[in-house]
Order: sequence, then C-alpha cells, then structure tokens
Amino acid sequence: MRPQEATGYGTELMLQFGRFVLTRALMALLTLIIVSLVVFSLMELVPGDCAERYLAFKNTQGSGISVADIEVERQRLGLDKPFLTRWTIWITNAFQGEFGDSCILRVNIANLLGQKFWFSLGICLASLVLAYAIAIPVGIIAAASNNATLNNTLKFISYFGLAMPNFLLALMIMLISTVWFGETLTGLFSKEYRDAAWSWAKFVDLLKHAWLPIFILGWSATAFALQTVRALMSDEIGKLYVTAASARGVFGRKLLWNYPARHALGPIVNSLGFDLNRIFNELPIVALILTLTEAGALLIDALARSNDQQLAGAIIFLLTASIVTLNFLTDVMLAVLDPRVRKSILR
Amino acid sequence: MSSLIDVENLTLQFKTDEGLITAVDNVSFSLKKGEVMGLVGESGSGKSVTAKALMHLNARNAVYSPESKITLHLDDREVDVLSLRKPSELQVVRGGAISMIFQEPMASFAPAITIGKQMVEQLMLHGDMSKAKAKEISVEMLDRVGISDAHKRFDQYAFELSGGMRQRAMIAMALSTQPKLLIADEPTTALDVTIQAQVIDLMKDLVNEFHMGIIFITHDLGVVAQTADKVSVMYLGELIEEGPVREVIRTPAHPYTQGLLSALPKLDDLDAPLTPVPGDIPSPLERPSGCVFHTRCSQVVGDQCMKALPERYDLDGNHSVSCHIYPKGARA
Repeated sequence: MRPQEATGYGTELMLQFGRFVLTRALMALLTLIIVSLVVFSLMELVPGDCAERYLAFKNTQGSGISVADIEVERQRLGLDKPFLTRWTIWITNAFQGEFGDSCILRVNIANLLGQKFWFSLGICLASLVLAYAIAIPVGIIAAASNNATLNNTLKFISYFGLAMPNFLLALMIMLISTVWFGETLTGLFSKEYRDAAWSWAKFVDLLKHAWLPIFILGWSATAFALQTVRALMSDEIGKLYVTAASARGVFGRKLLWNYPARHALGPIVNSLGFDLNRIFNELPIVALILTLTEAGALLIDALARSNDQQLAGAIIFLLTASIVTLNFLTDVMLAVLDPRVRKSILR
Repeated sequence: MSSLIDVENLTLQFKTDEGLITAVDNVSFSLKKGEVMGLVGESGSGKSVTAKALMHLNARNAVYSPESKITLHLDDREVDVLSLRKPSELQVVRGGAISMIFQEPMASFAPAITIGKQMVEQLMLHGDMSKAKAKEISVEMLDRVGISDAHKRFDQYAFELSGGMRQRAMIAMALSTQPKLLIADEPTTALDVTIQAQVIDLMKDLVNEFHMGIIFITHDLGVVAQTADKVSVMYLGELIEEGPVREVIRTPAHPYTQGLLSALPKLDDLDAPLTPVPGDIPSPLERPSGCVFHTRCSQVVGDQCMKALPERYDLDGNHSVSCHIYPKGARA
C-alpha cells in the first residue's frame, strides 16, 4: 500500500510545484507588463514625440519643415492614436522582440540592437557567474576559518575590489597590455571576424576579447559577493543547529557544507537579481573605455545625446525583462533549495 | 554503583578582546551510572559551559586549566575527555557515549534538512550500519518517544512539528545512539507547562529504560525536584552547593540556594511575598573578589567574604556547601 501512496504523494507534489512555477511565471509576466506601462509612459513624458524629433533633426540638416509635415509623419507613425492603443501595440510587439524604428536613426531597433543586447547580457551574466564561482567557496572557507592571516588578506582584497573603480582598473589593464604586450584589448572581435558569419573561430575570438570586460565587471562584483557570502556564512555558523550537529559528532567538511553552507545558499541566490542589475549599471563605463558597442552605452547615448525615446524604451524594457526573468528563476531555485519556502507555497 | 563521569578541578576561561574571562572555576563533581543530576543556576552561572566541556564542545577561544580533568568511564575503557583533539576521537563524547538536548528544539534542528536525515546521519556516524537499518532505528525511536505517525515525521522538517513534538524528536535523536550520559540543557524551558510535564515524564521513563546518567541543566528548581537524584548549584562559575535533591531543597545551606528557593512561587500560600535574590549576577568581567556571591548576599559574616574564597564544607551525608557561614575546620 505504502509505495503507491508515496507515488501519489509525489505526483501531488509535482503538480503543486508546477502550479507554483506557473503562478510565478504569470506574476513575472504581470510585472513586465506593468513595467512596460511605466516605461511607455516615461517615453511619452519626454517633451515632443518621435515625429517632431525626427523632423527637427531633419531641420538641422537643412530641410524645411512645416506643421503639416509633422502631422503627416505623426499619422504615419500612428502617434495620433490614443495612448492605450499605442501602448497595446507597443507591448504586443515588444514581446515579439519588435520595437519599431529608432526616432533619429530611422532604422529598425531590433536590427540596430541586433546581437549587442545579447552580448551585453552575456557579459553581465558571465561576470555574475565568475563573481559567485569565486565568492561562494572562498567566502565559505573564510567564514569557517579562524586563520587571521587568511581572513585579513581576503578582507584587504575584498575592500580593495570594492574601492577600486572599474574604469580605473580597465584603464590600467589597457595601459599595461598596450605598453608591455603591444596589444590593444578593445572591442569584442578582431577585425577579420567583425562581420564574418558565426563560426567556431569567431566564437574563440569573442572569448579572447570578452574575458577582459568580464574580468573587470566581475572584479568588483566578486568583492561585493564575497562580503555577502562571508556575512551570511558567519551568521549561519553561529546558529544553534550547527553546535547541535557538532554535538552529534558531525565534523569537518560534512559539517561545513551540509549545515551552514547549505543554509546560507538561499539568501545568496536571493541576491542574484540585484547583483545583475548592479553589474549592468557598471557596464557602460567599462564599455566606453574598451570601446565595446554594447547595449548599455547605446542606452546612455539614446537617453543623453539624441533623446531617442524609442530606442531607450526598448533597451530599458529588455533589461527589465532580463532581471524579471532572473528573479523568476531565483524564486524557483529558492523553492527547490529551501523546504520552508517550498512548504509555504505547496498547500 | 560505579562512577560514570568524573569532573575534577574544571577551570575554564575564555580568551576575549577584554582579556581572559573565567566561566568555570575549579568545579568538581561526579555522576554515577543511571543517576540524574540537576545543575542549577541563573544564566551566566557557567552551567551550560560546564556541560559543554563534557563534550569538549566549547568555542575555540576556550582555555582549560592544566589541572582540569574530565574522565568518562565506559565499559571497556576510560576516556580522558579534555585530551581528545581529533574530531574522530571526539565522536565518542559527541553523540556517541554522550548526547545533548538543547533548550530550543526548533533552533537545534537544521531547518532545511529533514529530521530523518539528521537522525540517520548521526546513527551512521556512530555505528557501522546500513542506511536502511539506521532509518529503521530512527523510526522506532520516534515512535518510542510518543511521536505518532513516525514514518511520516521522519520525512518532515522541524518547522512542520509542534514545539513539544520537536523536543520529543530531539530526545529521540539524542537517545538513538544509546548514550551512557544525556545532557539536557534546559530541555523544557521553551515548552508550555503541560508539555513540560509530558517531556519530563518521558525523560524519567527513558532513564529507567536505558539506564543512563542524566545531567539536567535548568534554572527551575521545581523541575529538578521532580526529576533529579542530586543537585548541584552554580553561581558565577563556582559550584556553591551540592547534595541529594531532597536535602538541598528542604534544608538549603547556601544563602544563594535559599534565595533561589524563596524566589519560587508557592501554590499553597499565595499571599506569601516572592523574595527574589537581590541584584543581578555580576558581569564575568568584574568577578567579585573573595566569595563571588558576597555582592548579593544578605548574610555576609565578615571580611573573609570579600577576601577569601570559601572552602567546601561537608554537611551531613553527601550534602556540601561553600560558604563562610560554616566554620572552618568544623567538618563533619
């Protein structure tokens, strides 16, 4: 009788878990829709619209523009339709990866962004992975060890990492590489691969260039993550259940990894979404120095220089979508890791 | 009956940034097989630290004096507890021959590991057995301590059980390896009074059944009166009085013990005022000179209380006290 009951229980759990994942996915979607409304409203709040902006731009190029021209352009762009209709159209397209044309550049945004967004996201995610791949083991060992030298060294490195601005590190590395190795480490591709079709060689070339921005962004992210992991671990190590486990004779690595480390993992996972956002914010400065044409730089350009609301909106939407997706994934991971979270949702 | 554990001249200090802090000062006692001892004192009196010393479980900054000696007498050998260094050697006093139950059952189970997994882990660490066998024993133990649906509880987490149930599970886990000595650190303090009584009854039954020694740490003399054979009272790291539980409770010799007893509410005389021991336990950083209790004592007899540490004075039977009230050299 029991095995069957167990299977029944298991299936029930799977169903509940599926429902949880679905609810979270729907909530993520809802968040994204609300964010899109905010982003779209902000785009609208910018004085003037796309038609005016383009024609004003044309004006500076020497073409004479009349009010009628603006009206015609507005109709062509669909700007005469009501706000909600325009938002609906925008959001429907956005979910299909279609963001219309840039106001100024007059090219399709999806084409303009092309792979840039994915490269940016890839670089940020790689930095995040690098940061935690270092911070989790090192932070855990540092928190568990009472070796003063090791702890102070790590503290020093970690504060140094936090205090040293990314751009300075980027400049220093570039200086060293140019002066000593005569190699410029800028861009994401070598000349011969820039417009070539994807191939293994192109991928290798990408890796050869991408390690630098990943390293520079990962630098401060690691320092930050190290602090987080260490603090969380020290906290867990002081808890009674760890003393209780060692009173039962559990010791060494088994004690460290199964008890405090296992329990510190939840909050660490929780901080991932926040970290990705922080890394993305730092990307434009690093990208500027390394002359990467990535999405962050494009965003700053779109916002500050050319007031290109269509382009800026598209990038902000994509960035938010990435973070919402990551948060959704960490939520699911948390439920897998922590039975308290799991049980609170599975009822 | 032969001795189970002997504690001799246990002195324990903690190295801190403020200097060495004395937590336990020259404490000696011994416990026979099957005997239940109550270790009583306010928080900060050193009772938990003393208990943890038996498992060599104190924090890394603990310093034991060279005279300190703890000997555990097992059937086949003697264990010099404080000389154990390697984790594998320590296992005999950690969950093997000695088990410990903590005050907060919720906090002493790892929150994200099932109760069963933690029980099986302990059993497999201490005995050469298969996982299936360990599970069988665990479920049996859960059943034995009165947990219904033991099979189901085995796969549950601590947060899914009620307070009393958790403490029962904790007891089941502690006893699963059949220890010779159980240390119970305020095991009922966090429980409701009705559950307290159940857990105390359970522990009494188990003592008889498993014939083990118990050190019952508590600040509650009522609990001690119900459970223990003998009682030791600690104050600021000093063992100030010990003796058979009835004698100590009926004729407390030390002013502090007298104070603790008169601080207990009396159900038969509800109009009697509660008379707490005046003042607070001093900070371990400012250990009083002489008798450590003189700052709160209502029966100071003279200069010697401030200057000299009182010697142990034997009253009748096994009842002894460390206090200047009792004449030097007038030993019974």
